[in-house]
Amino acid sequence: MSLWSFFTDPVLRAPTIACMLMGLSSSLIGVLVFLQRRSLLGEALAHAAYPGVALSGLCLAFLASQSESLFSLAVLGGALVTVFLALALIHFLEKKLSIKADSALCFTLSLFFGLGVLLASRLQMSHPLWYKQIQLFLYGQAATMTDAHVFFYGILTLLIVALLLLFFRPISLIHFDQGLAQLSGLNAKWLNGLLLFLLGLSLVVGMRSVGLVLISSLLVAPASGARQLSAHLSTFFWVAGFFGMTSGFLGNYLAVEIPLWLHLPRLSLPTGPMIALSATFLCLAALLLAPQRGYLIRELRLLAFKVRCRQENLMKQFYKAAGPLPLSLSWNLWRMRRKKWIFRTEEGSFELTKEGEKIAAKIVRLHRLWEVYLVHMGQGSEKVHRSAEEMEHILTPEVEKELGELLKHPRRDPHQQIIPR
Amino acid sequence: MNPYWKKTFFSFCALFFQRLWLLMSGELSFAELAPDEIQVFVLVFLSISSALVGSFLVLRKMAMLANSLSHTILVGIALSYLIFGSLLDTKALLVASLVSGLLTVLLTHFFTHALRLQAEASVGLVFTSLFALGVLLVTLFTRNVHLGVEAVMGNVDGLEFGDLKLAFGLFLLSSVSLALFFKEFTVSAFDPELASLLGLFPGVCNLLLLLLASVTAVGAFRAVGVLLFLALLVGPVLAARLLTHKLKTLVVIAALLGSLCSFVAVALSRHILSAYGTALSTSGLITVVIGICFAFCLLASRFKLARAEGLLIKKI
Repeated sequence: MSLWSFFTDPVLRAPTIACMLMGLSSSLIGVLVFLQRRSLLGEALAHAAYPGVALSGLCLAFLASQSESLFSLAVLGGALVTVFLALALIHFLEKKLSIKADSALCFTLSLFFGLGVLLASRLQMSHPLWYKQIQLFLYGQAATMTDAHVFFYGILTLLIVALLLLFFRPISLIHFDQGLAQLSGLNAKWLNGLLLFLLGLSLVVGMRSVGLVLISSLLVAPASGARQLSAHLSTFFWVAGFFGMTSGFLGNYLAVEIPLWLHLPRLSLPTGPMIALSATFLCLAALLLAPQRGYLIRELRLLAFKVRCRQENLMKQFYKAAGPLPLSLSWNLWRMRRKKWIFRTEEGSFELTKEGEKIAAKIVRLHRLWEVYLVHMGQGSEKVHRSAEEMEHILTPEVEKELGELLKHPRRDPHQQIIPR
Repeated sequence: MNPYWKKTFFSFCALFFQRLWLLMSGELSFAELAPDEIQVFVLVFLSISSALVGSFLVLRKMAMLANSLSHTILVGIALSYLIFGSLLDTKALLVASLVSGLLTVLLTHFFTHALRLQAEASVGLVFTSLFALGVLLVTLFTRNVHLGVEAVMGNVDGLEFGDLKLAFGLFLLSSVSLALFFKEFTVSAFDPELASLLGLFPGVCNLLLLLLASVTAVGAFRAVGVLLFLALLVGPVLAARLLTHKLKTLVVIAALLGSLCSFVAVALSRHILSAYGTALSTSGLITVVIGICFAFCLLASRFKLARAEGLLIKKI
């Protein structure tokens, strides 16, 4: 299927667009949470939405209401209420009882989720259909979303984006310079409240498509990936939003296409986990390949630097070996070839023979052994190189043997380099 | 025929202790245990071992890592289901828990140290993605979405005698390892630097603790589900924290509170079924009972504080 058909096909259109909107809103909020180093707050709050969902399902089941839009609204409202109750509980545990953040989050998460499980189990026997509706919110079910859902979630996403745009300046100020923010008369408490409200809203928006167990991945992954690619706050937001939308799309695309690629039309991939995995994949790609801070790029740069150092050291040796006389270098090379320490390969380069390798390793060994000995005698490890530079030519095999025994055959020198045997 | 049929809360308690006495004196064999009794025993063993592990996790500020372990265990469970084809094979479950526990810890370490991501975000990233993978595997290969839901929510009514053996094994494992390494765990919880000076390897202690948590989680997932296991892990410990400041007392109180809550929850669930004819999820009830227990402990500690202040004022 073509990419474009995901936006035009009447069945695929709604889930794709809804997931992209959800990805956008949660990744934007994810940036703010990332900056505050509270990425796990979203996880706890997402689970706390479950009792709200279950409670509104319970109420509607007993009111015997059948209205779809009333259900959406009630679930949203209920979820928001319990999310904020959970927030209040976390605040109380952390501030009033001085319980550490991780325990407070963990306790709140499990307490609220347990309450949700209890409420849902009340419905399981008496109203199995409502129970099914509620369980949808656990893992999400994007495939059954309709245009009405898109409209609903679209408005919420717009609200989040608009509020972010409106308060972009104060929010950035408060994150980077608390003092200045206070001086310029910003109310930090109020803004933090706004941020938490937006967080709750974005979680509730994502519940229907990704599910409340997985929604926090869309808070964490796009922001973590985007951090690697951006040096400015505004780029950070743009890139994260792009990542979020792309993973929303990719999740839907892969859930439809992978069964076709594998020729297994009966295989049905759940969209929610696919979105979460796409987000992780994008984030991993950014973490590994980002031009400035990516892991692989950093390692490659380090490797290139090491190679350059080697070459420069070799050049230095050539320069020193050339000495004052014009033919010194070629004479030395000739002597070493005569002694069968080095040989000339077919391409014309020089390499050590087996014999030469032994002799070179022995010199390095004597150098490093002597360094260990000096440190053993109480010298500072940064001062021993110069003396070892001379001693490596003087030490006899007997002294070497004695040194080895005295120092108990060390494996590494004071600079942590391996001593050859 | 279940002897607890139509019992209310108090008659449940009375009958339970009566039958416990019979069991102790050998007049009742283990094969005759009623489902309710198996539930109580499994949950009590689980809550004791999670309280033991949980005390140190809370002290080390690693509760959220336990949360991530409890999520990633789903990958291990799904894989062991694929390989061994069953969920009751104890060996398969242990392998699953150890592999997923190690994988989580190593990946989180890799993300924070090699990829230089902030600690919070790497914990979040690792467990959400592994969990997504687990959900995917479960739905793909077992064609049983039920497994996914059950792993998250638990199903106490599905417990069998085999689970009792597993839970008892976990109880032995955690209590013996904590008794053996109590000093090591304590020192590395309070002062990691001192621990490394003393040659106690705080890193190894951490890893051991997390692996214990992971094994306990895998034992708990059939009973209470991976998420509500967290309530058993953290709730009683936080409640006990309000009552005492001594580590040994804390561990004991937490274990007692945890087992009390489990017992009360099973009895309550039976009571509600008998009196109102509604079957409620016992694992959900346990969490709520733990929450109420926490509230009571909070009140008690506040009351104690207020009385101490009152005495002080009187003296002045």
